Amino acid sequence: MLSRTAENLFWLARYVERAEYLARTIDATLRVTALPNTYSGQGNEWDSALLTAGVAGSFYNHYDEANEANVVEYLSFAPTNPSSIRNCIEAARLNARSVRTALTGEMWATINSAWIELQENWSKGAKTREQLTAFLRFVQETSLRFDGSAYRTMLRNDAYWFSRLGVHLERADNTARILDVKYHLLLPEQEHVGGPLDYYQWSSILRSVSALTAYHWVYRQTLKPWLIADLLILNDSLPRSLASCYGNLVRNLDQIGVAYGRQGPAQRHARGIRNRLEHSDMEDIFQRGVHEFIQEFLADNSRLGEIVAKQYLI
Amino acid sequence: MRLRISHTTTYRYEPAATGVIQVLRLTPGSHDGQYVADWQIDVSADTKLDMHHDAFGNVTHVLTIGATEDLTITAEGLIETNDTGGVMRGTDERFPPQLFLRSTDLTEPSPAMATFTREIGGAEGDAISFLHALMTRLNDHMTFDSDPTHSGTTAAEAFTLRRGVCQDYAHVFIACARAGGIPARFVSGHFLRADGEVHQQAGHAWAEAYVPSLGWVGFDPANAICSTDAHARVAIGLDYLGAAPVRGTRYGGGLETLTVAVKVDQAGRQFQSQ
Repeated sequence: MLSRTAENLFWLARYVERAEYLARTIDATLRVTALPNTYSGQGNEWDSALLTAGVAGSFYNHYDEANEANVVEYLSFAPTNPSSIRNCIEAARLNARSVRTALTGEMWATINSAWIELQENWSKGAKTREQLTAFLRFVQETSLRFDGSAYRTMLRNDAYWFSRLGVHLERADNTARILDVKYHLLLPEQEHVGGPLDYYQWSSILRSVSALTAYHWVYRQTLKPWLIADLLILNDSLPRSLASCYGNLVRNLDQIGVAYGRQGPAQRHARGIRNRLEHSDMEDIFQRGVHEFIQEFLADNSRLGEIVAKQYLI
Repeated sequence: MRLRISHTTTYRYEPAATGVIQVLRLTPGSHDGQYVADWQIDVSADTKLDMHHDAFGNVTHVLTIGATEDLTITAEGLIETNDTGGVMRGTDERFPPQLFLRSTDLTEPSPAMATFTREIGGAEGDAISFLHALMTRLNDHMTFDSDPTHSGTTAAEAFTLRRGVCQDYAHVFIACARAGGIPARFVSGHFLRADGEVHQQAGHAWAEAYVPSLGWVGFDPANAICSTDAHARVAIGLDYLGAAPVRGTRYGGGLETLTVAVKVDQAGRQFQSQ
Protein backbone atom coordinates (compact mmCIF):
# COMPACT_ATOMS: atom_id res chain seq x y z
CA MET A 1 0.00 0.00 0.00
CA LEU A 2 1.24 3.50 -0.80
CA SER A 3 2.07 5.48 2.29
CA ARG A 4 -0.14 8.25 0.92
CA THR A 5 -3.11 5.85 0.97
CA ALA A 6 -2.27 4.76 4.50
CA GLU A 7 -2.07 8.39 5.54
CA ASN A 8 -5.49 9.21 4.07
CA LEU A 9 -7.08 6.23 5.79
CA PHE A 10 -5.45 7.12 9.09
CA TRP A 11 -6.56 10.75 9.01
CA LEU A 12 -10.03 9.97 7.69
CA ALA A 13 -10.70 7.85 10.78
CA ARG A 14 -9.04 10.38 13.07
CA TYR A 15 -11.17 13.26 11.81
CA VAL A 16 -14.42 11.33 12.17
CA GLU A 17 -13.46 10.33 15.72
CA ARG A 18 -12.54 13.90 16.56
CA ALA A 19 -15.83 15.27 15.21
CA GLU A 20 -17.74 12.85 17.41
CA TYR A 21 -15.68 13.75 20.43
CA LEU A 22 -16.30 17.47 19.92
CA ALA A 23 -20.03 16.80 19.64
CA ARG A 24 -19.91 14.85 22.91
CA THR A 25 -17.98 17.61 24.64
CA ILE A 26 -20.53 20.23 23.61
CA ASP A 27 -23.35 17.93 24.65
CA ALA A 28 -21.87 17.27 28.10
CA THR A 29 -21.13 20.98 28.62
CA LEU A 30 -24.68 21.95 27.69
CA ARG A 31 -25.94 19.58 30.38
CA VAL A 32 -23.73 21.00 33.11
CA THR A 33 -24.49 24.60 32.21
CA ALA A 34 -28.21 23.87 32.24
CA LEU A 35 -27.93 23.40 36.00
CA PRO A 36 -28.17 26.30 38.46
CA ASN A 37 -24.79 27.90 39.26
CA THR A 38 -24.62 26.31 42.69
CA TYR A 39 -24.43 22.93 41.00
CA SER A 40 -22.27 23.73 38.06
CA GLY A 41 -19.61 25.47 40.18
CA GLN A 42 -17.55 28.62 39.88
CA GLY A 43 -15.42 27.80 36.84
CA ASN A 44 -16.56 28.61 33.33
CA GLU A 45 -17.59 25.31 31.75
CA TRP A 46 -17.21 26.70 28.25
CA ASP A 47 -13.60 27.53 28.98
CA SER A 48 -12.92 23.98 30.01
CA ALA A 49 -14.69 22.71 26.86
CA LEU A 50 -12.20 24.77 24.83
CA LEU A 51 -9.34 23.33 26.86
CA THR A 52 -10.41 19.71 26.33
CA ALA A 53 -10.73 20.43 22.61
CA GLY A 54 -7.20 21.88 22.71
CA VAL A 55 -8.21 25.14 20.99
CA ALA A 56 -8.30 27.56 23.95
CA GLY A 57 -5.38 29.57 22.56
CA SER A 58 -6.72 30.15 19.06
CA PHE A 59 -10.27 30.83 20.32
CA TYR A 60 -9.31 34.12 21.94
CA ASN A 61 -7.78 35.34 18.68
CA HIS A 62 -11.31 35.44 17.29
CA TYR A 63 -13.60 36.00 20.27
CA ASP A 64 -13.48 38.00 23.52
CA GLU A 65 -15.67 35.90 25.74
CA ALA A 66 -16.08 32.14 26.20
CA ASN A 67 -19.87 31.92 26.36
CA GLU A 68 -22.24 29.33 24.96
CA ALA A 69 -22.89 31.03 21.62
CA ASN A 70 -19.22 31.73 20.89
CA VAL A 71 -17.84 28.37 21.96
CA VAL A 72 -20.53 26.34 20.19
CA GLU A 73 -19.96 28.40 17.06
CA TYR A 74 -16.19 28.00 17.27
CA LEU A 75 -16.16 24.27 18.04
CA SER A 76 -18.92 23.36 15.59
CA PHE A 77 -18.96 25.64 12.59
CA ALA A 78 -16.17 28.21 12.54
CA PRO A 79 -14.15 28.03 9.31
CA THR A 80 -11.31 29.72 11.24
CA ASN A 81 -10.96 26.75 13.62
CA PRO A 82 -9.03 24.01 11.80
CA SER A 83 -10.54 21.34 14.02
CA SER A 84 -14.14 22.52 14.19
CA ILE A 85 -16.69 19.80 13.56
CA ARG A 86 -17.44 21.22 10.13
CA ASN A 87 -13.76 21.25 9.18
CA CYS A 88 -13.28 17.73 10.57
CA ILE A 89 -16.07 16.39 8.37
CA GLU A 90 -14.74 18.27 5.35
CA ALA A 91 -11.21 17.01 5.95
CA ALA A 92 -12.54 13.47 6.49
CA ARG A 93 -14.42 13.63 3.19
CA LEU A 94 -11.38 14.98 1.33
CA ASN A 95 -9.27 12.13 2.69
CA ALA A 96 -12.01 9.63 1.84
CA ARG A 97 -12.27 10.90 -1.72
CA SER A 98 -8.54 10.41 -2.34
CA VAL A 99 -8.76 6.78 -1.23
CA ARG A 100 -12.24 6.12 -2.55
CA THR A 101 -11.20 2.69 -3.91
CA ALA A 102 -9.71 1.56 -0.59
CA LEU A 103 -13.07 2.17 1.14
CA THR A 104 -16.22 0.13 0.95
CA GLY A 105 -19.33 1.65 -0.62
CA GLU A 106 -21.01 1.95 2.77
CA MET A 107 -18.16 3.92 4.28
CA TRP A 108 -17.98 6.30 1.37
CA ALA A 109 -21.75 6.79 1.33
CA THR A 110 -21.73 7.65 5.03
CA ILE A 111 -19.01 10.23 4.85
CA ASN A 112 -20.20 11.73 1.57
CA SER A 113 -23.82 12.06 2.62
CA ALA A 114 -22.71 13.60 5.92
CA TRP A 115 -20.78 16.16 3.96
CA ILE A 116 -23.74 16.88 1.68
CA GLU A 117 -26.05 17.25 4.66
CA LEU A 118 -23.55 19.64 6.21
CA GLN A 119 -23.74 21.84 3.09
CA GLU A 120 -27.49 21.66 2.76
CA ASN A 121 -28.74 21.90 6.31
CA TRP A 122 -26.01 23.33 8.46
CA SER A 123 -24.25 25.93 6.35
CA LYS A 124 -25.73 28.69 8.53
CA GLY A 125 -24.93 26.99 11.82
CA ALA A 126 -27.46 26.13 14.51
CA LYS A 127 -29.65 29.02 15.57
CA THR A 128 -31.64 27.42 18.35
CA ARG A 129 -31.07 24.87 21.07
CA GLU A 130 -33.27 22.39 19.17
CA GLN A 131 -31.23 22.84 16.04
CA LEU A 132 -28.01 22.44 17.98
CA THR A 133 -29.22 19.23 19.58
CA ALA A 134 -30.22 17.92 16.15
CA PHE A 135 -26.80 18.87 14.78
CA LEU A 136 -24.92 17.13 17.59
CA ARG A 137 -27.03 14.02 17.08
CA PHE A 138 -26.31 14.13 13.35
CA VAL A 139 -22.55 14.26 14.05
CA GLN A 140 -22.62 11.40 16.53
CA GLU A 141 -24.73 9.29 14.21
CA THR A 142 -22.37 9.93 11.32
CA SER A 143 -19.51 8.66 13.42
CA LEU A 144 -21.46 5.60 14.57
CA ARG A 145 -22.46 4.76 10.99
CA PHE A 146 -18.95 5.27 9.74
CA ASP A 147 -17.40 3.13 12.48
CA GLY A 148 -20.10 0.50 12.09
CA SER A 149 -19.75 0.25 8.33
CA ALA A 150 -15.96 -0.01 8.63
CA TYR A 151 -16.38 -2.77 11.21
CA ARG A 152 -18.99 -4.62 9.17
CA THR A 153 -17.77 -4.24 5.63
CA MET A 154 -14.02 -3.70 5.49
CA LEU A 155 -11.63 -6.45 4.54
CA ARG A 156 -9.26 -7.13 7.45
CA ASN A 157 -6.06 -5.97 5.84
CA ASP A 158 -3.66 -3.05 6.19
CA ALA A 159 -6.33 -0.57 5.05
CA TYR A 160 -8.52 -1.56 8.00
CA TRP A 161 -5.63 -1.58 10.47
CA PHE A 162 -4.41 1.89 9.48
CA SER A 163 -7.88 3.32 9.89
CA ARG A 164 -8.16 1.66 13.33
CA LEU A 165 -4.84 3.20 14.31
CA GLY A 166 -6.32 6.61 13.56
CA VAL A 167 -9.43 5.90 15.64
CA HIS A 168 -7.57 4.67 18.70
CA LEU A 169 -4.81 7.27 18.69
CA GLU A 170 -7.40 10.02 18.51
CA ARG A 171 -9.61 8.38 21.11
CA ALA A 172 -6.76 7.92 23.60
CA ASP A 173 -5.81 11.54 23.07
CA ASN A 174 -9.38 12.71 23.72
CA THR A 175 -9.89 10.66 26.88
CA ALA A 176 -6.55 11.83 28.24
CA ARG A 177 -7.46 15.45 27.48
CA ILE A 178 -10.71 15.21 29.41
CA LEU A 179 -8.80 13.76 32.34
CA ASP A 180 -6.18 16.45 32.03
CA VAL A 181 -8.66 19.32 32.16
CA LYS A 182 -10.83 17.76 34.84
CA TYR A 183 -8.20 15.98 36.92
CA HIS A 184 -8.47 18.47 39.78
CA LEU A 185 -12.02 17.19 40.33
CA LEU A 186 -10.72 13.64 40.68
CA LEU A 187 -8.02 14.29 43.29
CA PRO A 188 -8.52 12.37 46.53
CA GLU A 189 -8.59 15.57 48.63
CA GLN A 190 -11.95 16.32 47.06
CA GLU A 191 -13.33 13.19 48.64
CA HIS A 192 -14.90 14.88 51.66
CA VAL A 193 -16.85 17.30 49.47
CA GLY A 194 -18.97 14.79 47.62
CA GLY A 195 -21.84 17.27 47.30
CA PRO A 196 -24.19 17.72 44.38
CA LEU A 197 -21.60 19.92 42.66
CA ASP A 198 -19.16 17.05 42.43
CA TYR A 199 -21.82 14.58 41.47
CA TYR A 200 -22.79 16.61 38.42
CA GLN A 201 -19.21 17.36 37.48
CA TRP A 202 -18.20 13.73 37.76
CA SER A 203 -21.18 12.44 35.87
CA SER A 204 -20.44 14.95 33.14
CA ILE A 205 -16.92 13.53 32.78
CA LEU A 206 -18.40 10.07 32.39
CA ARG A 207 -21.10 11.29 30.02
CA SER A 208 -18.55 12.91 27.74
CA VAL A 209 -17.10 9.45 27.07
CA SER A 210 -20.53 7.75 27.37
CA ALA A 211 -19.38 5.68 30.34
CA LEU A 212 -21.95 6.60 33.00
CA THR A 213 -23.87 3.35 32.68
CA ALA A 214 -20.62 1.41 32.35
CA TYR A 215 -19.44 2.94 35.63
CA HIS A 216 -22.45 1.60 37.50
CA TRP A 217 -22.06 -1.81 35.93
CA VAL A 218 -18.41 -2.05 36.90
CA TYR A 219 -18.36 -0.56 40.39
CA ARG A 220 -21.99 -0.80 41.56
CA GLN A 221 -21.72 2.22 43.80
CA THR A 222 -22.02 6.01 43.86
CA LEU A 223 -19.58 8.07 41.83
CA LYS A 224 -16.14 8.14 43.44
CA PRO A 225 -13.40 10.16 41.76
CA TRP A 226 -10.62 7.57 41.99
CA LEU A 227 -12.89 4.92 40.53
CA ILE A 228 -13.74 7.23 37.63
CA ALA A 229 -10.02 7.69 37.01
CA ASP A 230 -9.51 3.93 37.31
CA LEU A 231 -12.28 3.29 34.76
CA LEU A 232 -11.03 5.83 32.22
CA ILE A 233 -7.34 5.00 32.57
CA LEU A 234 -6.90 1.37 33.46
CA ASN A 235 -10.08 -0.56 32.72
CA ASP A 236 -9.46 -2.73 29.70
CA SER A 237 -13.12 -3.40 29.04
CA LEU A 238 -14.17 0.24 28.62
CA PRO A 239 -13.71 1.05 24.91
CA ARG A 240 -12.61 4.63 25.58
CA SER A 241 -10.16 3.93 28.39
CA LEU A 242 -6.48 4.55 27.76
CA ALA A 243 -5.72 0.87 28.45
CA SER A 244 -8.29 -0.33 25.91
CA CYS A 245 -7.12 2.13 23.24
CA TYR A 246 -3.56 0.91 23.71
CA GLY A 247 -4.61 -2.72 23.69
CA ASN A 248 -6.08 -2.04 20.24
CA LEU A 249 -3.19 0.08 19.00
CA VAL A 250 -0.68 -2.60 19.96
CA ARG A 251 -2.78 -5.30 18.27
CA ASN A 252 -3.28 -3.32 15.06
CA LEU A 253 0.39 -2.40 14.86
CA ASP A 254 1.30 -6.03 15.42
CA GLN A 255 -1.01 -7.08 12.58
CA ILE A 256 0.58 -4.50 10.30
CA GLY A 257 4.03 -5.74 11.36
CA VAL A 258 3.13 -9.36 10.63
CA ALA A 259 1.54 -8.53 7.27
CA TYR A 260 4.56 -6.52 6.15
CA GLY A 261 7.07 -8.93 7.70
CA ARG A 262 8.82 -6.00 9.27
CA GLN A 263 8.40 -3.96 12.39
CA GLY A 264 10.09 -1.06 14.04
CA PRO A 265 9.90 1.82 16.52
CA ALA A 266 6.11 2.27 16.28
CA GLN A 267 5.49 -1.28 17.54
CA ARG A 268 8.07 -0.96 20.30
CA HIS A 269 6.90 2.45 21.43
CA ALA A 270 3.23 1.40 21.57
CA ARG A 271 4.09 -1.77 23.48
CA GLY A 272 6.12 0.26 25.96
CA ILE A 273 3.11 2.49 26.71
CA ARG A 274 0.82 -0.51 26.90
CA ASN A 275 3.18 -2.20 29.39
CA ARG A 276 3.26 0.83 31.62
CA LEU A 277 -0.54 0.97 31.67
CA GLU A 278 -0.77 -2.75 32.34
CA HIS A 279 1.66 -2.62 35.25
CA SER A 280 0.20 0.49 36.90
CA ASP A 281 -2.42 0.69 39.57
CA MET A 282 -4.46 3.71 40.57
CA GLU A 283 -2.71 4.10 43.93
CA ASP A 284 0.67 4.51 42.21
CA ILE A 285 -0.78 6.97 39.73
CA PHE A 286 -2.33 9.13 42.45
CA GLN A 287 0.88 8.99 44.42
CA ARG A 288 3.01 10.09 41.48
CA GLY A 289 0.40 12.67 40.51
CA VAL A 290 -2.50 12.27 38.10
CA HIS A 291 -1.54 15.46 36.33
CA GLU A 292 2.04 14.30 35.71
CA PHE A 293 0.80 10.88 34.60
CA ILE A 294 -1.63 12.36 32.07
CA GLN A 295 0.90 14.88 30.79
CA GLU A 296 3.39 12.10 30.26
CA PHE A 297 0.74 9.99 28.54
CA LEU A 298 -0.29 12.81 26.20
CA ALA A 299 3.35 13.35 25.24
CA ASP A 300 3.88 9.61 24.69
CA ASN A 301 0.68 9.37 22.66
CA SER A 302 1.53 12.23 20.33
CA ARG A 303 5.04 10.82 20.02
CA LEU A 304 3.46 7.56 18.83
CA GLY A 305 1.54 9.58 16.24
CA GLU A 306 4.83 11.03 14.97
CA ILE A 307 6.55 7.65 14.93
CA VAL A 308 3.68 6.01 13.04
CA ALA A 309 3.75 8.87 10.56
CA LYS A 310 7.50 8.52 10.06
CA GLN A 311 7.41 4.75 9.77
CA TYR A 312 4.36 4.33 7.56
CA LEU A 313 2.68 7.52 6.42
CA ILE A 314 5.40 9.59 4.77
CA MET B 1 11.86 -12.51 17.02
CA ARG B 2 8.44 -14.10 16.90
CA LEU B 3 8.34 -17.33 18.89
CA ARG B 4 5.62 -19.92 18.57
CA ILE B 5 5.52 -21.84 21.84
CA SER B 6 3.54 -24.80 22.98
CA HIS B 7 3.94 -26.40 26.38
CA THR B 8 2.01 -29.59 27.13
CA THR B 9 1.90 -31.25 30.54
CA THR B 10 0.23 -34.65 30.82
CA TYR B 11 -0.59 -36.41 34.09
CA ARG B 12 -1.70 -40.03 34.19
CA TYR B 13 -3.09 -41.42 37.44
CA GLU B 14 -3.24 -45.17 38.14
CA PRO B 15 -5.71 -45.82 39.64
CA ALA B 16 -7.76 -42.70 38.96
CA ALA B 17 -7.37 -39.75 41.32
CA THR B 18 -10.56 -38.56 43.03
CA GLY B 19 -9.66 -34.89 42.84
CA VAL B 20 -6.86 -32.69 41.52
CA ILE B 21 -5.93 -29.08 42.27
CA GLN B 22 -3.22 -27.35 40.27
CA VAL B 23 -1.76 -23.86 40.23
CA LEU B 24 -0.53 -22.94 36.74
CA ARG B 25 2.14 -20.36 36.08
CA LEU B 26 1.99 -20.83 32.33
CA THR B 27 0.99 -17.38 31.15
CA PRO B 28 3.73 -14.92 30.17
CA GLY B 29 3.44 -11.19 30.81
CA SER B 30 4.65 -8.34 28.64
CA HIS B 31 7.67 -6.14 29.25
CA ASP B 32 9.73 -3.85 27.02
CA GLY B 33 11.56 -6.77 25.44
CA GLN B 34 8.55 -9.04 25.08
CA TYR B 35 5.05 -8.72 23.70
CA VAL B 36 2.51 -11.52 24.01
CA ALA B 37 0.62 -11.46 20.72
CA ASP B 38 -1.58 -14.45 21.50
CA TRP B 39 -1.83 -16.90 24.38
CA GLN B 40 -4.24 -19.56 25.56
CA ILE B 41 -4.48 -22.46 27.96
CA ASP B 42 -6.41 -25.63 27.15
CA VAL B 43 -7.30 -28.22 29.76
CA SER B 44 -8.53 -31.68 28.80
CA ALA B 45 -11.16 -31.80 31.56
CA ASP B 46 -14.16 -29.50 32.09
CA THR B 47 -13.01 -26.93 34.58
CA LYS B 48 -13.03 -23.29 35.41
CA LEU B 49 -9.66 -21.54 35.24
CA ASP B 50 -9.56 -18.85 37.91
CA MET B 51 -7.05 -16.17 37.02
CA HIS B 52 -5.06 -14.36 39.70
CA HIS B 53 -1.76 -12.56 40.09
CA ASP B 54 0.60 -13.93 42.70
CA ALA B 55 2.72 -11.75 44.99
CA PHE B 56 5.49 -11.42 42.39
CA GLY B 57 3.05 -10.33 39.68
CA ASN B 58 3.01 -13.67 37.83
CA VAL B 59 -0.27 -14.59 36.16
CA THR B 60 -1.61 -17.75 37.81
CA HIS B 61 -4.57 -19.97 37.01
CA VAL B 62 -6.06 -22.32 39.54
CA LEU B 63 -7.85 -25.40 38.28
CA THR B 64 -9.86 -27.89 40.28
CA ILE B 65 -11.27 -31.08 38.78
CA GLY B 66 -12.97 -34.18 40.11
CA ALA B 67 -12.22 -37.84 39.53
CA THR B 68 -9.91 -38.34 36.59
CA GLU B 69 -7.48 -40.79 35.04
CA ASP B 70 -5.52 -38.33 33.01
CA LEU B 71 -5.16 -34.63 32.67
CA THR B 72 -3.53 -32.66 29.86
CA ILE B 73 -2.75 -28.98 30.16
CA THR B 74 -1.58 -27.16 27.04
CA ALA B 75 -0.37 -23.59 27.04
CA GLU B 76 0.42 -22.15 23.64
CA GLY B 77 0.79 -18.91 21.81
CA LEU B 78 2.93 -16.37 20.06
CA ILE B 79 5.46 -14.12 21.73
CA GLU B 80 7.29 -11.29 20.01
CA THR B 81 10.71 -10.65 21.58
CA ASN B 82 13.41 -8.00 21.22
CA ASP B 83 17.02 -8.37 22.24
CA THR B 84 17.60 -5.91 25.10
CA GLY B 85 21.05 -7.26 25.99
CA GLY B 86 19.51 -8.96 29.02
CA VAL B 87 18.37 -5.68 30.62
CA MET B 88 14.77 -5.97 31.80
CA ARG B 89 12.61 -2.84 31.54
CA GLY B 90 8.88 -2.46 31.95
CA THR B 91 8.46 -5.54 34.12
CA ASP B 92 5.86 -5.66 36.87
CA GLU B 93 7.95 -4.90 39.98
CA ARG B 94 6.07 -5.20 43.24
CA PHE B 95 8.93 -5.39 45.72
CA PRO B 96 12.21 -3.61 46.37
CA PRO B 97 15.11 -5.64 44.91
CA GLN B 98 16.48 -6.39 48.41
CA LEU B 99 13.65 -8.88 48.87
CA PHE B 100 15.45 -11.14 46.42
CA LEU B 101 18.43 -11.48 48.78
CA ARG B 102 16.25 -13.85 50.80
CA SER B 103 17.56 -17.40 50.72
CA THR B 104 15.38 -20.49 50.32
CA ASP B 105 15.92 -24.22 50.96
CA LEU B 106 16.72 -24.81 47.30
CA THR B 107 19.16 -21.89 47.10
CA GLU B 108 21.03 -22.20 50.42
CA PRO B 109 24.75 -21.80 49.64
CA SER B 110 27.16 -24.47 50.92
CA PRO B 111 30.60 -23.51 52.33
CA ALA B 112 32.17 -24.69 49.04
CA MET B 113 29.91 -22.29 47.12
CA ALA B 114 30.79 -19.45 49.46
CA THR B 115 34.48 -20.07 48.75
CA PHE B 116 33.76 -20.29 45.01
CA THR B 117 32.02 -16.90 45.23
CA ARG B 118 34.81 -15.30 47.27
CA GLU B 119 37.41 -16.45 44.75
CA ILE B 120 35.64 -14.53 41.98
CA GLY B 121 35.66 -11.44 44.19
CA GLY B 122 34.62 -7.89 43.37
CA ALA B 123 30.90 -8.23 44.07
CA GLU B 124 31.00 -5.07 46.24
CA GLY B 125 32.49 -2.89 43.53
CA ASP B 126 31.57 -3.91 40.03
CA ALA B 127 28.41 -5.99 40.14
CA ILE B 128 28.11 -6.57 36.41
CA SER B 129 31.66 -7.93 35.96
CA PHE B 130 31.20 -10.12 39.00
CA LEU B 131 27.99 -11.58 37.59
CA HIS B 132 29.55 -12.23 34.19
CA ALA B 133 32.55 -13.90 35.82
CA LEU B 134 30.22 -15.96 37.99
CA MET B 135 28.21 -17.07 34.96
CA THR B 136 31.32 -18.10 32.99
CA ARG B 137 32.98 -19.94 35.89
CA LEU B 138 29.79 -21.68 36.83
CA ASN B 139 29.29 -22.81 33.26
CA ASP B 140 32.83 -24.27 33.33
CA HIS B 141 32.32 -25.85 36.73
CA MET B 142 29.17 -27.75 35.79
CA THR B 143 28.25 -30.15 33.01
CA PHE B 144 24.75 -30.35 31.55
CA ASP B 145 23.25 -33.72 32.46
CA SER B 146 19.59 -34.46 33.03
CA ASP B 147 20.12 -37.80 34.81
CA PRO B 148 21.44 -37.17 38.33
CA THR B 149 19.18 -34.30 39.41
CA HIS B 150 15.41 -33.84 39.79
CA SER B 151 13.08 -30.94 40.54
CA GLY B 152 13.88 -31.04 44.27
CA THR B 153 17.68 -30.99 43.97
CA THR B 154 19.18 -28.11 45.92
CA ALA B 155 21.84 -25.72 44.66
CA ALA B 156 24.40 -27.20 47.09
CA GLU B 157 23.77 -30.77 45.88
CA ALA B 158 24.06 -29.80 42.22
CA PHE B 159 27.22 -27.82 42.94
CA THR B 160 28.83 -30.88 44.58
CA LEU B 161 27.67 -33.19 41.76
CA ARG B 162 28.98 -30.66 39.21
CA ARG B 163 26.08 -31.82 37.06
CA GLY B 164 22.55 -30.68 36.45
CA VAL B 165 19.96 -29.11 34.16
CA CYS B 166 19.21 -25.44 33.52
CA GLN B 167 17.22 -25.25 36.73
CA ASP B 168 20.24 -26.39 38.79
CA TYR B 169 22.53 -23.93 37.02
CA ALA B 170 20.06 -21.17 37.83
CA HIS B 171 19.82 -22.20 41.50
CA VAL B 172 23.60 -22.26 41.95
CA PHE B 173 23.92 -18.91 40.18
CA ILE B 174 21.23 -17.35 42.40
CA ALA B 175 22.76 -18.78 45.59
CA CYS B 176 26.24 -17.46 44.70
CA ALA B 177 24.97 -14.03 43.62
CA ARG B 178 23.04 -13.66 46.89
CA ALA B 179 26.12 -14.81 48.80
CA GLY B 180 27.94 -11.95 47.08
CA GLY B 181 25.24 -9.54 48.27
CA ILE B 182 23.47 -9.17 44.92
CA PRO B 183 19.68 -9.69 44.74
CA ALA B 184 18.87 -12.54 42.34
CA ARG B 185 15.76 -14.43 41.29
CA PHE B 186 14.66 -17.49 39.38
CA VAL B 187 13.02 -17.17 35.95
CA SER B 188 11.05 -19.89 34.22
CA GLY B 189 10.32 -19.59 30.54
CA HIS B 190 11.21 -20.86 27.11
CA PHE B 191 14.31 -20.79 24.96
CA LEU B 192 14.67 -21.06 21.20
CA ARG B 193 17.65 -23.34 20.74
CA ALA B 194 20.39 -22.17 18.43
CA ASP B 195 20.89 -25.67 16.97
CA GLY B 196 17.42 -25.65 15.42
CA GLU B 197 16.00 -28.41 17.65
CA VAL B 198 12.34 -27.47 18.08
CA HIS B 199 11.14 -30.21 20.42
CA GLN B 200 12.32 -29.99 24.01
CA GLN B 201 11.83 -32.12 27.08
CA ALA B 202 11.02 -29.24 29.42
CA GLY B 203 10.81 -25.50 29.63
CA HIS B 204 13.91 -23.44 30.25
CA ALA B 205 15.09 -21.71 33.41
CA TRP B 206 17.56 -18.92 34.06
CA ALA B 207 18.20 -16.16 36.58
CA GLU B 208 17.92 -12.42 36.90
CA ALA B 209 20.27 -10.37 39.07
CA TYR B 210 19.88 -6.79 40.18
CA VAL B 211 22.57 -4.36 39.08
CA PRO B 212 21.99 -0.88 40.58
CA SER B 213 22.99 1.00 37.40
CA LEU B 214 20.92 -1.17 35.02
CA GLY B 215 18.07 -2.71 36.99
CA TRP B 216 17.29 -6.41 36.59
CA VAL B 217 19.52 -8.26 34.12
CA GLY B 218 18.87 -11.77 32.81
CA PHE B 219 21.70 -14.33 33.07
CA ASP B 220 21.39 -17.77 31.54
CA PRO B 221 24.24 -19.75 33.16
CA ALA B 222 23.36 -23.00 31.34
CA ASN B 223 24.11 -21.28 28.03
CA ALA B 224 26.60 -18.77 29.48
CA ILE B 225 24.81 -15.81 27.89
CA CYS B 226 22.67 -12.92 29.07
CA SER B 227 19.03 -13.36 28.12
CA THR B 228 18.36 -12.51 24.48
CA ASP B 229 15.41 -12.46 22.10
CA ALA B 230 15.57 -16.27 22.12
CA HIS B 231 14.32 -16.20 25.73
CA ALA B 232 10.60 -15.93 26.45
CA ARG B 233 10.03 -15.05 30.09
CA VAL B 234 7.00 -16.60 31.81
CA ALA B 235 7.31 -16.38 35.61
CA ILE B 236 9.70 -15.31 38.35
CA GLY B 237 10.21 -16.43 41.95
CA LEU B 238 12.75 -16.79 44.73
CA ASP B 239 13.50 -20.29 43.41
CA TYR B 240 11.99 -23.00 41.19
CA LEU B 241 9.06 -23.59 43.55
CA GLY B 242 7.95 -19.98 43.28
CA ALA B 243 8.02 -19.98 39.48
CA ALA B 244 7.14 -23.62 38.70
CA PRO B 245 4.89 -23.96 35.62
CA VAL B 246 2.54 -26.44 37.31
CA ARG B 247 2.23 -27.11 41.05
CA GLY B 248 -0.54 -28.93 42.79
CA THR B 249 -1.83 -31.89 44.67
CA ARG B 250 -4.38 -34.68 44.29
CA TYR B 251 -6.71 -36.79 46.40
CA GLY B 252 -6.65 -40.54 45.96
CA GLY B 253 -5.01 -42.28 43.03
CA GLY B 254 -1.78 -44.20 43.23
CA LEU B 255 1.02 -43.94 40.76
CA GLU B 256 1.33 -40.61 38.98
CA THR B 257 3.23 -40.26 35.70
CA LEU B 258 4.09 -36.87 34.36
CA THR B 259 5.20 -36.09 30.81
CA VAL B 260 6.12 -32.69 29.51
CA ALA B 261 6.49 -31.75 25.86
CA VAL B 262 7.66 -28.32 24.82
CA LYS B 263 7.91 -26.92 21.33
CA VAL B 264 9.63 -23.60 20.66
CA ASP B 265 9.85 -22.47 17.07
CA GLN B 266 10.31 -19.27 15.16
CA ALA B 267 7.12 -18.08 13.49
CA GLY B 268 7.49 -16.18 10.19
CA ARG B 269 10.71 -14.23 10.10
CA GLN B 270 10.46 -10.50 10.55
CA PHE B 271 13.01 -7.76 10.15
CA GLN B 272 13.54 -5.21 12.87
CA SER B 273 14.22 -1.75 11.57
CA GLN B 274 15.91 0.59 13.99
